Amino acid sequence: MKHSEPHAFVNQLLVYTLAMIVTSGSVGLGAVWLRYQMAATANRIKQTEASISDCQRRLDETVTQIETEKSPDVLRHLNDDLHLGLVEPKEAQVNRVDEDVEARLAAKRNSDLLTESSPAFVVFNPQLAQPATPAQ
Amino acid sequence: MRRGFASNYRTAVIAAMIGLCFASIAVRLYYLHVLDRAQFLKMIEKARYAIDVENARRGDILDSRGNLLATSNSQVVLGVDPQAVQTEDEKKWPELSALIGVPLSDIQRIFLTKTRPPEIKSPAATAATAAAAATKPEAAADQKPVDVSVGPKFEFNLADDGSGKTTVPSEVLDDQLDENGQRPIRWAKLRDDLDESVYDQVMKLHIKGLYGNRVYRRAYPHNSLAAHVVGFVNHQNVPVMGIEKYANFYLAGHNGWVVTEVDGRRHELAQFRTREVDPVDGYNVVLSIDSVVQDIVEQELTYIGEHFKPLKATIIVMDARTGFILALGNYPTFNPNEYQKASIASLTDPAVSDVLEPGSTFKIVATSGALQEGLVNPETTFDCNDDTVVLDGKVRRLPRDDEHFDHRLTLREVLSHSSNRGAFRCAYLLGPQKFYDYAKKYGFGEYTHFALGPESRGVLIPPDKWDGLTFTRMPMGHSVSATPLQITYAMGVIASGGELLRPQVIQEIRDSHNEVVFRYGREVRRRVISRRTAETMAAMLNWVTVPGQGTAPAAAIPGFQVAGKTGTAEKIINGKYSRTKHVASFVGFFPASRPAIVMSVIVDQASANLPGGVAYGSIVSAPSFRHIGEKLIQYLNIKPVDETQRPPSLLALSSR
Repeated sequence: MKHSEPHAFVNQLLVYTLAMIVTSGSVGLGAVWLRYQMAATANRIKQTEASISDCQRRLDETVTQIETEKSPDVLRHLNDDLHLGLVEPKEAQVNRVDEDVEARLAAKRNSDLLTESSPAFVVFNPQLAQPATPAQ
Repeated sequence: MRRGFASNYRTAVIAAMIGLCFASIAVRLYYLHVLDRAQFLKMIEKARYAIDVENARRGDILDSRGNLLATSNSQVVLGVDPQAVQTEDEKKWPELSALIGVPLSDIQRIFLTKTRPPEIKSPAATAATAAAAATKPEAAADQKPVDVSVGPKFEFNLADDGSGKTTVPSEVLDDQLDENGQRPIRWAKLRDDLDESVYDQVMKLHIKGLYGNRVYRRAYPHNSLAAHVVGFVNHQNVPVMGIEKYANFYLAGHNGWVVTEVDGRRHELAQFRTREVDPVDGYNVVLSIDSVVQDIVEQELTYIGEHFKPLKATIIVMDARTGFILALGNYPTFNPNEYQKASIASLTDPAVSDVLEPGSTFKIVATSGALQEGLVNPETTFDCNDDTVVLDGKVRRLPRDDEHFDHRLTLREVLSHSSNRGAFRCAYLLGPQKFYDYAKKYGFGEYTHFALGPESRGVLIPPDKWDGLTFTRMPMGHSVSATPLQITYAMGVIASGGELLRPQVIQEIRDSHNEVVFRYGREVRRRVISRRTAETMAAMLNWVTVPGQGTAPAAAIPGFQVAGKTGTAEKIINGKYSRTKHVASFVGFFPASRPAIVMSVIVDQASANLPGGVAYGSIVSAPSFRHIGEKLIQYLNIKPVDETQRPPSLLALSSR
């Protein structure tokens, strides 16, 4: 049976309209999805920035607490409370060293090594360090 | 024949319906975009767009060894939107009360007060005034904190987050009257100094409408240490004094801001951010102050305060070679964390603001001037028992000395015995104008342009305005006044080899990544006397601390050469010199032949434990000089000078 021309045109129009609605709906949904992704990414960036600044704030707080614990008043109280008995040195207790301190300490430590009576090496194995027992 | 769905009738109906729909949309759009456009645009712009200010972090203040003297901590300004409060949250209020330390009755009042009368001025306007005041620190410093209370029963504040800077304004809704003609409260402050950890616990309660704004608040970890140097920033974020005020340009940084959009629940739509400007954190300021030296000084000031009960006391320690200040302390002092509790007297910095007569410490001007001009030498003798002089044809009586001398005093003895008449004889040889010129060259009567202030210039009267007695009194340190800082740096001239150094306390400026932006160095204001004259003066001043020879054996440090000068100036009370109220001082340096440290101990009106009732510099100030000096020798590893390396001419003058 042959359809009349106007009806065929209307049916075709409805099909095209439907197709257009589906297409534009898909495009619209795609755009919405895209925008949602943009929003989600922006929010993630914002949250990351917030967590970084949160870490920074807590770091500042901790640094301040450490610095407070290092203040002279607190240290003095700790010295008293823990009965540490730490006192400042007096001038009479100080032996002033004018030469290079490291060289002086090294010379003091190694002075025996270079004398003829002592060996020029250090023995770390205590068994080797003991003199051999003569046979009975 | 079967006809399709789209009959002529149905087609017409569908077409009409679609047409009607489009027509109604077109009409609505016409109303929205043409007729009511302006009104809706205004509404949308107010509701949708927001400007978020991101506060910059204020830079730190550090001492020369990197210890934090002032830093910025994040705190939370906690508030509630009473319109969003839910009745089912009421059972959580006691827990909230315990957490934030606000009485439950206050919490109930704030949560349940949802409106305010329309005639009450909008707090936003008050907050704007506060923000404007924050841009004018000098003006705001003298003002009381802006009271944003809107009634006797409750306080609330829309725009003030405590930082002194305007943030997201929520006063739009607040300024609109509700159906009862009342102004709805959209935000009421509960606490403005909540720590992050407490805020975390508060948020776990999930009380609807309760939220906080994060702000940076100043913290001073060492409490009162170097309080007068560091200064403080008040709760309106206005730097009030000290380095906080002087270096505010570096410390403050620049706030950032974001133009963004918010949804109907005022949540930010981050994807619509435009014009995003990041905040620039403030620079860090590194001081020349050493916390350990400062602590030594402040311990000594505490001792002076408890033992001598003075009105005020100041101790300044400077590096003799560079002029940088290692410690500057005052008594009484204050805790910048609790500046509200400090007395007005303790908030001034007498080291730079107060002027006092320098007394005998000023004798270095006349003696060094005469020495520099070649008018005298260390062996020149003076008759210090002669108590009169003829000036401008008139006989003038000279100020008396504390002791009677059985022989003519050498220049060295004039200094070590602190002879007033001997100092006048030196000034007399110089003549009034030259004597005045030397005093000026030493920095008296002029600003030092020191970082801390407000600074006083002191008083140095030019010779054409002197009365008959001025010339006889000025060489002994009367008729002239100076700040403790000026007196210290005048002695610093001799310690530095004849140069007047600029007092400095800022060593470096660093950015937030700790990179050095600017480094300050030694600055010479002028040469006052030659190096040779300075060395000769140092050698003579060394005798001041020699037992049996000088006025201040109590300042002597065993094994070290200490040069210095005592001062005991009578205070002017009701226009007359008082016999009972004195300013005691000792200003000196060590080692005398290779100065490392210049120190002044100035005690104003000591009133207890004074043998004879007079606060002599040798009794009050000199021992403190020694106490501090002994500790500094240990801490700064100052070594005694090998006498064999000194020139024979100075060796003869030296005491040991």
